[in-house]
Amino acid sequence: MTSLQTMRLVAGREFRERGRSRAYLVSSAVTLLIILAMIVVPAVLRSQGRTFTVGILGSGNEPILAAAEALTAADEFPTTLRRVAFEARDEAVAALEAGEVDAVLVDGRELVVATAGGFGGSDLERLLQQAAGTRRIQDLLAGDEAAADVVEILTSDALEVVPLRGERGREVGQRGVIAYGGLVLMYIAILSYGTWMLTGVTEEKSNRVVEVLLATTKPWQLLAGKMIGIGLLGILQFVGTVVAAVVALRVTELFDLPAIPVDLLVAMVAWFLLGYAVYSAAYGAAGSLVSRAEDAQTAAFPMTLVAIAGFFASFRALDDPSSTTAVVLSFVPPVAPFVVPVRVAFGAIPAWEHALAAGVTVVFLALLVRLAGRVYSGALLHQGGRISFRDAFRSAEV
Amino acid sequence: MSERGDPVLVLDGLEKTYGEVRALDGCAFAVERGRMLGFLGPNGAGKTTTMRAIFGLVRLDAGSVTWDGRPVTDAERLRFGYMPEARGLYPKMKARDQLVYLGMLHGLTRSDARRAADRWLETLGVGERAEDPVEELSHGNQQRVQLAASLVHDPELLVLDEPFSGLDPLGVETMAEVLRAQADAGTAVVFSSHQLDLVEDLCEDVAIIDRGRIVLAGNVRELKDASRYRRLELELEDGGEFLRRLTGVVAHEVDGDRHRLLVDKDTDVRELLAAASSTARIREFAYTTPSLNDLFREAVTR
Repeated sequence: MTSLQTMRLVAGREFRERGRSRAYLVSSAVTLLIILAMIVVPAVLRSQGRTFTVGILGSGNEPILAAAEALTAADEFPTTLRRVAFEARDEAVAALEAGEVDAVLVDGRELVVATAGGFGGSDLERLLQQAAGTRRIQDLLAGDEAAADVVEILTSDALEVVPLRGERGREVGQRGVIAYGGLVLMYIAILSYGTWMLTGVTEEKSNRVVEVLLATTKPWQLLAGKMIGIGLLGILQFVGTVVAAVVALRVTELFDLPAIPVDLLVAMVAWFLLGYAVYSAAYGAAGSLVSRAEDAQTAAFPMTLVAIAGFFASFRALDDPSSTTAVVLSFVPPVAPFVVPVRVAFGAIPAWEHALAAGVTVVFLALLVRLAGRVYSGALLHQGGRISFRDAFRSAEV
Repeated sequence: MSERGDPVLVLDGLEKTYGEVRALDGCAFAVERGRMLGFLGPNGAGKTTTMRAIFGLVRLDAGSVTWDGRPVTDAERLRFGYMPEARGLYPKMKARDQLVYLGMLHGLTRSDARRAADRWLETLGVGERAEDPVEELSHGNQQRVQLAASLVHDPELLVLDEPFSGLDPLGVETMAEVLRAQADAGTAVVFSSHQLDLVEDLCEDVAIIDRGRIVLAGNVRELKDASRYRRLELELEDGGEFLRRLTGVVAHEVDGDRHRLLVDKDTDVRELLAAASSTARIREFAYTTPSLNDLFREAVTR
């Protein structure tokens, strides 16, 4: 028996037993459904065009509504505005409260809405604001041929931006969405598979099968085999979900991908593997410290905290993928798997930096696996209660 | 390769300290091929630590474990079978799959492992439950699967920590038969137990450990013969006073008319019988070597 054969057996058992467990099948199906719903539902809604009902009170409203319709007329699916006229403000407000109208336009200068709305207000509010602004300019420059130019200037960027790295324009938004989606997927995947590792190790310890296994295998073979087996299931689910998402995006044409961004997919999968390896090794070591499933989450809390911090840190990278924070975090191994793919998505990471970040993470991983293996071997045969990280490290027996 | 009867597993001078606790203090004994050794000792004497040491699960401070004259390596351990005191299998895994997996970890091919798993499940009377997850089996049946797990690769050495604990009389019988058959087929068998009667019936050899050191080891019959004491059992109709005057009595238990004594080996039995028949009517008289229980108590007297 070589180490490789042993690890393959251990990995194979994990893969088979967990792969056909209800937990895996259900979580795969649910993830797939959520991702598809996130893509298909907006696509269906959009294809029907949008319709708003606007209450009108007083005069001077129609030019704004007409301008609003004109603004979306060029879209693939134009917005329709239904008008409901009111005689008195009370009636209009009552209708708004009752949800019969989406907003009430008063004398072409006031917009009454039901709630303050989220950041930037609702889509309808934005559209009407834009339309009203356009009307004002046209009134101001009445008869002047420059009116159209002024509107054009105000609604577009005056300078053409030429970036040295990465791309601009429509594609940025799309790659950003992919990066964001990938980030969320990765976060969920790393945490859920890390948790499998955690509970799997604790279970083997609490049901004591581990002593039988250790009589023929080395702790590190067991740890590595487990990481590989669960990792394979994870990558299968992850890649499956990503491929389904990309296919759904192309079919629904929610936004047209210029081409499937292969560089980004490869980077995402590679960083997913690195991230998974880092967290599963850490979770495996944490799981070996406790004997009861109830204690496992507590033991893993520090790792979970780091993952959450990494996830939030990556939002900074989404805002500004070239910021100092993003650059520094690319070299912090537990956080890098969240940050680097985002920077890759925007083309905001030079190749050497990318390679160095990967190198740092790989070195960190190698050290971590050794450390985790030692803690794991020291803690496995300790029964009853929790053994401290230090004691486990010291008492590594095998 | 050693012959049947030669010491094949030799433990020598094992030492292990956990913090302040001296778990093993020079523990040494040998196991022979084709024989069964009962490994006895009070709780906490070092039995489990010794067994774990055979499988390299304990980093020894000193001492050696050799197999066939060579230090035990991973390759040898593949041919050992182990049933730890802390029983454990994957609860949700089917009994057969579990055995196949463990068999393969010991180096069997998948098809050999399948055949062996089925054979052992059948032999141990749990063949019908092969497709059931282990957690759905009764305690006794789980224990049978656990035994099968230590046997699936036909080991040359079988080490079992308390294999009889928690078994009903039928389970004990099956377990005993299987172990006996294994030893007869040439396997070296070591098991720990607190059931001394059982060990006395089953084992050729014993090793008694106390406070991390072996206090008595060897062939059961020879140890009994060599004992300084003899066991005397009498049932008297009346009297029994004369027994108080007897010299060389180590222990004397009275249960109604029944007297159980442990006496010096040199006690003159004929004289004793004469004294007894002159003062009382003897309903029953037995003079034997001490039981394993007696040997054990003598060896670990605190």
